[in-house]
Amino acid sequence: MAGNIDIHVEHLTRVEGHGDIFFNSKEGKVENVQWHVTEAPRFFEAMLRGKSYVHLRPITSRICGICSIGHSLASLKATEAALGVEVSEETVLLRRLALHGENMQSHVLHIGYLVVPDLFGVGSVFPIVDINKDAVVKIVGLHRLANFMSDLVCGRTTHPITLQLGGFNKVPTVAELIDLRSRLEASKPVIAGVSGLLASVKGNLPDFERETEYIGLVDDRLYALYDGVVGSTDTGLHPVDDYLSITNEYVVPQSTAKYTKHARDAYFVGALARFNLNESKLGSFGREIAGVLGMSAPIHNPFMNTYAQMVEVADSVQDSILIIDELLHRGIKGDMAKVEPRAGRGIGAVEVPRGILFHDYTIDGIGNCRKANCIIPTNQNHANIQRDLEELSPGLVEKPEKDIELTLEMLVRAYDPCISCSTHYTKVHFV
Amino acid sequence: MRTLDPDAWKAFIDGLIKEPDLDVVGVKEKGRRFVFAPLENASELRLDYDVTILPPKKELLPPNEDLLLFDISKPFDVLAAHDERKKVLVGVHPYDLVAINMMDEVYLGTHVDEHYEKRRQNTLIIASDILNIPPKAFCGSLGTHTVESGYDLLVTPLGDRYVVQEGTPAGTELLEKYAESRESSAEDIARVEKLREELPSRYERKLHVDKYKWSEILGENYEHPLWEENARKCLTCGTCTLVCPTCVCYDVSDEVELDLERGKRTRTWDGCLLKEFTLVGSGEIFRETPTNRYRHRYYRKGMYLPMRYGFVACVGCGRCSTQCLADIADPLDVMNVLASSSMDDPKRLPIPEVKVHGVKQQLLVPKAADITHKEQMTDIDTLYKIRLDSGEALGHKPGQFVELSIFGIGEAPISIASSPGPEPEFELLVRKIGDVTSKLDTLNVGDKVGIRGPLGNGFNIEALKGRNLLYIGGGFGLAPLRSLINYSLEHRSDFKRITVLYGCKDPSALLFKNDIDCWGCMEGVEFKATVDECMDDDSWGGNIGVITTLIPEVDIDPDTTMAIVVGPPVMYKYVIRELKQKNLPDENIIVSLERRMKCGVGKCGHCQINGVYVCLEGPVFNYADIKDLPEAF
Amino acid sequence: MKPKVAFFDFSSCEGCQLQVVNLEEKVLDLVDIVEVVSFREAMKEHSDNYDIAIIEGSIMRPMDEERLKKIRHNARILVALGACACIGGVNKLRNKWSVDDVKAEVYGNADLDGNPYFDALPTRAIDEVVAVDAYIPGCPINKNEFSRVVTGLAVGRKPKLPTYPVCVECKKNENVCVFEMGQFCLGPITRAGCDAICPTNGEGCDGCRGFLEDLRVNAMKDVLRHYGVTMDQMMKRFNLYNYKREGY
Repeated sequence: MAGNIDIHVEHLTRVEGHGDIFFNSKEGKVENVQWHVTEAPRFFEAMLRGKSYVHLRPITSRICGICSIGHSLASLKATEAALGVEVSEETVLLRRLALHGENMQSHVLHIGYLVVPDLFGVGSVFPIVDINKDAVVKIVGLHRLANFMSDLVCGRTTHPITLQLGGFNKVPTVAELIDLRSRLEASKPVIAGVSGLLASVKGNLPDFERETEYIGLVDDRLYALYDGVVGSTDTGLHPVDDYLSITNEYVVPQSTAKYTKHARDAYFVGALARFNLNESKLGSFGREIAGVLGMSAPIHNPFMNTYAQMVEVADSVQDSILIIDELLHRGIKGDMAKVEPRAGRGIGAVEVPRGILFHDYTIDGIGNCRKANCIIPTNQNHANIQRDLEELSPGLVEKPEKDIELTLEMLVRAYDPCISCSTHYTKVHFV
Repeated sequence: MRTLDPDAWKAFIDGLIKEPDLDVVGVKEKGRRFVFAPLENASELRLDYDVTILPPKKELLPPNEDLLLFDISKPFDVLAAHDERKKVLVGVHPYDLVAINMMDEVYLGTHVDEHYEKRRQNTLIIASDILNIPPKAFCGSLGTHTVESGYDLLVTPLGDRYVVQEGTPAGTELLEKYAESRESSAEDIARVEKLREELPSRYERKLHVDKYKWSEILGENYEHPLWEENARKCLTCGTCTLVCPTCVCYDVSDEVELDLERGKRTRTWDGCLLKEFTLVGSGEIFRETPTNRYRHRYYRKGMYLPMRYGFVACVGCGRCSTQCLADIADPLDVMNVLASSSMDDPKRLPIPEVKVHGVKQQLLVPKAADITHKEQMTDIDTLYKIRLDSGEALGHKPGQFVELSIFGIGEAPISIASSPGPEPEFELLVRKIGDVTSKLDTLNVGDKVGIRGPLGNGFNIEALKGRNLLYIGGGFGLAPLRSLINYSLEHRSDFKRITVLYGCKDPSALLFKNDIDCWGCMEGVEFKATVDECMDDDSWGGNIGVITTLIPEVDIDPDTTMAIVVGPPVMYKYVIRELKQKNLPDENIIVSLERRMKCGVGKCGHCQINGVYVCLEGPVFNYADIKDLPEAF
Repeated sequence: MKPKVAFFDFSSCEGCQLQVVNLEEKVLDLVDIVEVVSFREAMKEHSDNYDIAIIEGSIMRPMDEERLKKIRHNARILVALGACACIGGVNKLRNKWSVDDVKAEVYGNADLDGNPYFDALPTRAIDEVVAVDAYIPGCPINKNEFSRVVTGLAVGRKPKLPTYPVCVECKKNENVCVFEMGQFCLGPITRAGCDAICPTNGEGCDGCRGFLEDLRVNAMKDVLRHYGVTMDQMMKRFNLYNYKREGY
């Protein structure tokens, strides 16, 4: 039905942080569609000025409640790079385990609590208890397992405690790792069950494609999350230290979060980007779930980001089991590298659930931070969200208003945006 | 004595560990320190430890313990939660064993705490002799470096062998069942004795004063500047009391699950160093300054507990001094300083002699009761009639109190306002101040509450017989007083003249108007009331002024008159001053004091006035007995 | 009649609301005893008719202040959730500099005048703008404490937070004191209720639950000096969560 439609979604629900969607059409023609980021800026990088190098991790952890482990690790990597600290293999293994826990926790939360309600046509996960209690129980169980894992490795899932410069100040015991391993094994059929459910409602996802540039960490041996170089589906591999030439941030007035661009006018980071870049590195279980979900790279439908997350949950479980086996084989010693303040600049890049995260610190001779720059995955996605909305809207304009609104919301939700993280910026680049 | 080879000892411990129904808790490493913890195998056991972070008291009185389990969706469904697991503690040092015996006195003497009793009965103790001494300990000076009894088994690790002394039949049984041992040789025994003999000299730190003189020295130094000096550095963090083997005070609170049905009442370690240890519902804190709280701990250990139980409640383990960040917790340092000084005005801080009143029920489990009547007296005061489900009379004496439970909220001590009798109902006047009393206000006739009691000592009726009685009630204090007033009117011939003076804030705050009217009309009873202030349009014809304004006009024969005074804490000083003006001897003045109560039976420690438990020696006191206690008024 | 509960967030990382979700199965119990009418992070539905408002985050802009005052007007009981709401938390770190200074540092010369999204004031905790009825402190909150406060409100009990320090819980957990391991810790002056989670996991307390009202700060400074902590180190740690709190 052509006509005049004005939609303003204020404070989009079921996303982390505050954003608005505007859609105006007149007589069947889209006049304006905009993604507004309205979250209050928190000025984190400004806050880091003058802070001691020992406080950079606890402060930046508070950028985000869901990816605090990721921020902590990026922060530690950047500080360690600046101070010339090398951590042991054991520390890397444990950090990878921590990141898997976070990935699983965030993805399950996003899939189960934030997106699935749309696929079932309800407002939140609570009514699904009546429709399909088993599904809710499975999702809650997976979420609990992910939290259990993060609690074990990090002391606490939100704002971790054991992740420190140089190593871990408390490590899991052999008995605890063995117990975790058996729980992870037991979760595999549950993951398969939830994947089956997702496969069955895949048809409820809008059939939309828009090819864009996909960027994420790439490693030649692993499905990269903790370490790697920056990979792009357009331009290949780049060193992490060159990140600024990739991100190119700029300010737009409708968003307190800046936009980014690289080879095109926008790019995509997150599970779908990682899947497109690293599908060949998935383990057997991840591949199995990708098969259940009918996925094979490259995928250009942004709505499939959620499904790519499910694949990653499976892969994280399998990789975690391998890491545990390795740790048990080596024995756990609680390595702690020596950390001394000195002048330097370091950049840490880590894949967090929503995409590639950069922390860049410049530290002076007595250990205080002089400059800081944090580039958050979600703000690397804002431009892409805007472009997707613009491309998606003409196809929707004939539909009932409620459907247009829902589809636009679902698009933004598919990106799993972490908006409050993305609103604290760093240095401005004018483009 | 029996001797075991190292392998045999290991097999003994492993044998115990393998027992499915037995928990074996022994000393093992934690970081660079030691703790009591469940043993997985005998090689974890470290009998060569110096001292553990927390004493083994945590195995008998856990830091958090469920007392009661209840379901608030049902009218009255409450169960005592008891720990039935059998346990054996391995590696308890003599000083900790001495402390456990002290804890037994507190929890098993007078009124038996059933939770503690069950756990104690299910626990066997394998003590072990001291091999290594931590830097701050001074057991040698206190005689707590060895023990002669109190253990089921006592092991002396000699390196190449283990010598075990049997202490009880249960210990012997344990040894016979799980261990291969042989009769100890004379040489074995000599080595054990030598080890024990050499211990005192190995303690670097020495007390300069015999522990049995601590009481006297503390009595002479209540105002010593050391208390304030040290308290300035005190973090009031509570560490000293938490790690002390003889500290056994606890707090009680209720918790409810998110389903708003199942809940529990738990007790958790509390300490007198913490600010709100003496907080009452009206917001008053009776031991407010860090100096008072810091000092109290030493007096309790060195004076009050010795006076009450006969033991000095410090075993020289050194935990407090090691773990106090401010380094002010060391009893050795403090006593050595005090021993060499004495202030001019020695204080008597006595504990009055009382006949122990028995508590007629399970100590901590409330009995079910109904609210049978509810009558609002003022904006904030309500009179309730309560009737135990069992139908029996409460059997109380005037001046006693009950602990009233509302599960999920908590418990509050309430004075009994009615005189005793055969009828099953008793009366409580409740002021709406805190959580329990506010919740009670929302309940109605027919609703259920829990009652523990009667508790406290009550008025000494015998001492009042044949005397003139001068009742002085301030505000809410009239409630417990009414119990005695009506009792004395019911037994009129036992007493001579009766005078009742009552003061409250203003006419709207008057309590028990019916009783007041009666008392005013009775023969041989003089009744006078006063209000602090009165708005003009009130029809108040009586006196206006604080309660002390009524006293000068009363004709008192000091030798034959007993004054019974109950009111808010601030009132006592002034009333007593007026009574002294009338030459009333100290022993003719009776008061009833309030403090924070939790257990009501002399265990949790909250109600202490110096060494006196308000719930045991009080709440009724003879002024002569307590006038010298600095914390009384 | 189940009380109606609404969740709101201002400037925060939303980690505290995540802890509510992390109650896992108990969330189903929670929604049984209260009616959640608004929880933007997890629900699409929203209603302005609520008894209890639970608020995470600090106040940064005039538009946030307006929104908060409206919520206060609608709610019978207002609960501040987490350090940012209770005491300002890390959000207050930027109060060291002027608003113009931080805007310039972050957005450079971008023309943001008159744009309400960018209009910033010094960070404030919730009770610096409206009256607060209950606090659930911590960064993040302890979800058991959340349960206790909510069930307390549901059974009609005034929520009461511990007035004793973290040391009490740390000792009950029988931790080796972190001071002995070469670190320093603000536990002795910080409010308990977190079960000493950081020292239990090997890291000294940063004071995220707020310092106690009865602040023995001089005694604490003496202890820190004794352990070789410099004034600079001390103040940096004090100011992490308790920036410009009166008393020191």
